[in-house]
Amino acid sequence: MEDDRTTFGPDPDLEAEGRELGADPEMLELRADAAAGLKTQELQADAATALEQRRQRRYLIRALLRSPTFMTGVIIVLFWVFMAVFSTYITQSPTAVDAMHSLAAPSAAHLFGTDELGRDVLARTMAGARTVLIIAPLATILALLWGGIIGLVAGFYRGYTDEVIMRLIDVLLALPIIITSILVLSLLGTGLTIIIITIGALFTPVVSRTVRSAVIGEREREYVMAARLRGERSPFVMAREILPNITQPIIVEGTIRLGYAVFTAATLSFLGFGLGPPSPDWGLTIATERIYLQIAPWTVMFPALALATLVVGVNLITDGLGRVFSK
Amino acid sequence: MLRLIGRRLLLMVPTLILASILVFALAQVLPGDVGRTILGPYATQQQVDLLNHKLGADKPLYQRYAVWAGNFVTGKWGDSAVDKSVHVRPTVIKALGNSLVLAGFALVIIVPLSVLLGVFAGLRRDSLLDRGITISTLSMTVIPEFVSGVVLLYVFAVWLKWLPVVGMPPDGSPFYDRFYYLILPAIPLMFLELGYIARMARVGTVQVLAMPYIRTAVLKGLPRRRVIFGHVLRNAMVPTVTVIGSQVGWLIGGLAVIETLFVYPGIGKLMVDAALAHDLPMLEASVLLVAIVYMLANLIADIVVALLNPRIRMGG
Repeated sequence: MEDDRTTFGPDPDLEAEGRELGADPEMLELRADAAAGLKTQELQADAATALEQRRQRRYLIRALLRSPTFMTGVIIVLFWVFMAVFSTYITQSPTAVDAMHSLAAPSAAHLFGTDELGRDVLARTMAGARTVLIIAPLATILALLWGGIIGLVAGFYRGYTDEVIMRLIDVLLALPIIITSILVLSLLGTGLTIIIITIGALFTPVVSRTVRSAVIGEREREYVMAARLRGERSPFVMAREILPNITQPIIVEGTIRLGYAVFTAATLSFLGFGLGPPSPDWGLTIATERIYLQIAPWTVMFPALALATLVVGVNLITDGLGRVFSK
Repeated sequence: MLRLIGRRLLLMVPTLILASILVFALAQVLPGDVGRTILGPYATQQQVDLLNHKLGADKPLYQRYAVWAGNFVTGKWGDSAVDKSVHVRPTVIKALGNSLVLAGFALVIIVPLSVLLGVFAGLRRDSLLDRGITISTLSMTVIPEFVSGVVLLYVFAVWLKWLPVVGMPPDGSPFYDRFYYLILPAIPLMFLELGYIARMARVGTVQVLAMPYIRTAVLKGLPRRRVIFGHVLRNAMVPTVTVIGSQVGWLIGGLAVIETLFVYPGIGKLMVDAALAHDLPMLEASVLLVAIVYMLANLIADIVVALLNPRIRMGG
């Protein structure tokens, strides 16, 4: 009996908890035994579920690869990622000025024409994905990180903590996102870092709501109870037990936010709160070139169509993921 | 019902106070030295101190917030920091009126249209028509409104020359001219809402169609039209109205973009211009006003949902 226990070692957490509660040692021993038993069972169960999970993951990936919606989205987004990274090696320079050929219509020399400074519109359109593709994913990751932590804490502890956090979240949601970001960026100045942090922070409340409701759905399940009974600390239960079980809603939420982040980043740069010229950013280009809409529509139309394809691509990914996960 | 409205109105007060603290903190505290921000790096410290004293920026924070919030509540919104002859309150309120006309015009057309599309798709679930409606409306929704706006502007105003390039007729035009000028700016705003409303109406329809009472209605021999209008449409409206309420925030953001694109003198353009020009009084007043309108819009959506759904109405 004694040996049996030492193989698993006494659980310091559990003993501390027992002392706090003032439980008698016999009771403590019983609970430790129960916890040890649970652990062996869990180990076996873990091996089985790990296999099951791997099988499920393989199934999900195969389903995704066969989803035309998802794959179309992936191809579109990958195209823009590739262009953002390598376009300068393929096309002409996006910032080279050629005043002699300003606002030239599309031709063999310039397939998409040139803008008012004679810059090649094709090169600028291809390089224009860069800022959006830096801002949107990083802002989404920040939002998932912060929102994930807040949602886990609120959903796990419930009660007073939850109430206070959710009321604060309601306040943050009381202002429209574009409006708050305009306010923040006009007062704190613009720049890549600050735009990323602002969008990330403003998306945090929505993410934390999603994560919270997912956590609430999980916290009463047996495996959480088992982890608590064997005396795991709360952060461990949240991060290692609950979190792996709510990855699907978090991934779906992440792709939804990514779509909104592209939308928001492009909108902010259109309104003049993004990077300044000579950046080939689409939103900025559309804002500055739209005065030439009547005489040189190609300067505006190509970046506009490019942005539209990227946004639709991201949303196709979201749609495909949602469809496969909900099956 | 009245209790529900009263409770929601009361709940708005703390939210509004916290939101105003947020705006105050962003506008007055974070930039640090208010006088330095206004006067720029070349002013002497003496001038900065003098301005800070005049603005009351040298007082403790809670006093400054009390004065600031008190001024807002009592309607003393001050003058524009850029042009002292411009009073903030009439300017902001007039701009808000213009924006409400634009947003109202867009909503009056888009809500019935997208609900119809959604119900139509839901009634023919999983058909080609359903997929077509869902994909095309969602694509329109996710594309940023300045992209669809600029494409529409090119096609209808520059190329076909059917519609004007700006959103507001010149002064002295007859009143009905306004609606002619509003058509083009309203379409991108409609796109913004179309996909979500249609999707919710579709989901609502699909759910309602699975209900036993629809089977009862069909089996007791009600004509199809009566079933759709009397039962399906009414019940599919509940999630739809909720989503319209939740999308108002994006609609307001869309107003900022569309008004900038079509040079329309609404509150969105006013806010963007004030932000770009660092016109704090104008910016704060318009942001707070928009926050109030936003909360009221959500409240109205909740009330309509309660009216449509007796379970919430009675329970409230």
